[in-house]
Amino acid sequence: MLRRLLLIASLGLVAALFSATLVRFAPGYGVEERELDPRWSAESVEALRHKQLLQEGLASFYFHYLSALARGDLGESDSLKRPVRELLTQRLPVTGSAIVRGLGVAWLAAALLASLGLSSRSWLYEASGTAFSSLLLSLPSAVVAMLAVHLRAPVFCAISVVVFPRLHRYMRSLLVRSYDQPHVLAARARGLTSGTIFWRHVLPVAAPPLLALFGVSFAIAFGAAIPIEALCDSPGLGQLAWHAALSRDLPLIVNVTFVVCLVMLVANSLADLAGRTVIGASQ
Amino acid sequence: MSPLQKVAAILLCTILLLMVLASIFVPAPYARQFRDIPNAGPSTAHPLGTDALGRDSLSRLLYGTRVSLLLAPGASLLSTIIAALLGSAAGLIGGWFERIVLALTDLSLALPWLFLLLTVRAMLPLDVPPMVSVVIAFLMMGLLGWQSAVRVICAATRGIRDSDFLLLARSTGCQPARLLLRHVAPNLRPLFYVQFWISIPLFILTEANLSILGLGVMEPMPSWGNLLRGFENFSALAANPLRLVPLILLVLVVMCFQLVLPSQEVTQ
Repeated sequence: MLRRLLLIASLGLVAALFSATLVRFAPGYGVEERELDPRWSAESVEALRHKQLLQEGLASFYFHYLSALARGDLGESDSLKRPVRELLTQRLPVTGSAIVRGLGVAWLAAALLASLGLSSRSWLYEASGTAFSSLLLSLPSAVVAMLAVHLRAPVFCAISVVVFPRLHRYMRSLLVRSYDQPHVLAARARGLTSGTIFWRHVLPVAAPPLLALFGVSFAIAFGAAIPIEALCDSPGLGQLAWHAALSRDLPLIVNVTFVVCLVMLVANSLADLAGRTVIGASQ
Repeated sequence: MSPLQKVAAILLCTILLLMVLASIFVPAPYARQFRDIPNAGPSTAHPLGTDALGRDSLSRLLYGTRVSLLLAPGASLLSTIIAALLGSAAGLIGGWFERIVLALTDLSLALPWLFLLLTVRAMLPLDVPPMVSVVIAFLMMGLLGWQSAVRVICAATRGIRDSDFLLLARSTGCQPARLLLRHVAPNLRPLFYVQFWISIPLFILTEANLSILGLGVMEPMPSWGNLLRGFENFSALAANPLRLVPLILLVLVVMCFQLVLPSQEVTQ
């Protein structure tokens, strides 16, 4: 467990340092507009230059970043002029809540529709279900966000609309494959009820891939949260990432990458751990 | 090929033909402004009306289709080539090289795709000519869109690493590069086709998302993403429902790509 946690933390750091490297070598890095402002005194301009000089080299930048991180200091946003830690603390719960609720709705709807399709097994239902999820899959998440704005729908609804078709398609094919297993056929032949067949024979087979899908769905939901929060004007981490990208805010980009990477890795590890536990329990 | 796949293929071919012959059908150049008739409804001169800047919507749609449908396969080809090279080399060589490639893949997969693109796009200049923005957008997708394909190709290569024909080729002194190009690649060709094909709709949708967020193709160059930005003005959309045509076309094309994709049984 400790090894996994260390691995997660180091992967998060690598991602943050990688984004810092990209920023460092981006065209226009180190150009400070304030130096051209005549209202700034010569001493202030000199202080600005000295501050930039400290972060001039990549190694120097890494050193400053890591030592500040060890003290819990994530720096200050260049564009918003506020501590990054404060920004992240304010915005992470907004996105977290929207993603958790969106995922809840999407998982519930996908599970419901997939099981209904399995129980009815009519071609009309399957065709309409497939057509509906294909239609939603073909919509860019930014268009879903614009529709949410027009319909005054909450952010989590837009997230669930983006995540649902991906879950439904995979869940449906997984359940169909699980129900077609020989041991399920044998259970049917023995006259077991459909509930018993599902809980005892189908779910143990389908659970590990479904739990792995949980980690993936988290990444899809966060990816969808960026355009949705940006267009719906929701003050979350997605909107912050978009703002940081547009304003080329170095401290913000590095720290948002670090946090996003950590959250994704933790979600994937939890899903992986849960999958292994289920496999262990079923064996 | 099922009847539905045939219909999807015919539809795709028709759209591709329209895109190629766009210059014959367009009523006006895509950037020309008819300043006296902004937000105009459909007419004989402008079958789909005009946008808020008075530009002909049909011309912009046809040229935008050309941009999206030409460059998405280009980006997909680039990402498939990178994935094929990295994945098959990692699977064939194994050991530390495979571990490094897979660790890099895991790392980039840990970040959501759109977030990764957003971060990289932020590093590049935003104030660029429209043509450069098109190249940047699709090149970025091609260079960053290989991760999931690498895992699949690496696993497939690992499956044939110890096969008899590779053992025989090795024993005759075949060089690694020749082994990769002459013996491994032909066996994985169906997998490459599938990876290429499934990336196209993904890149079309990503371009749309990036352009709507202002980080993709820049104005006045049209693309599906740019055209969809008009949706923000809902009152204009209500006044002229034909403005929905770019969205309908985008959904239709993405659905057709999904339908035409060869099934798993065919590719194996």
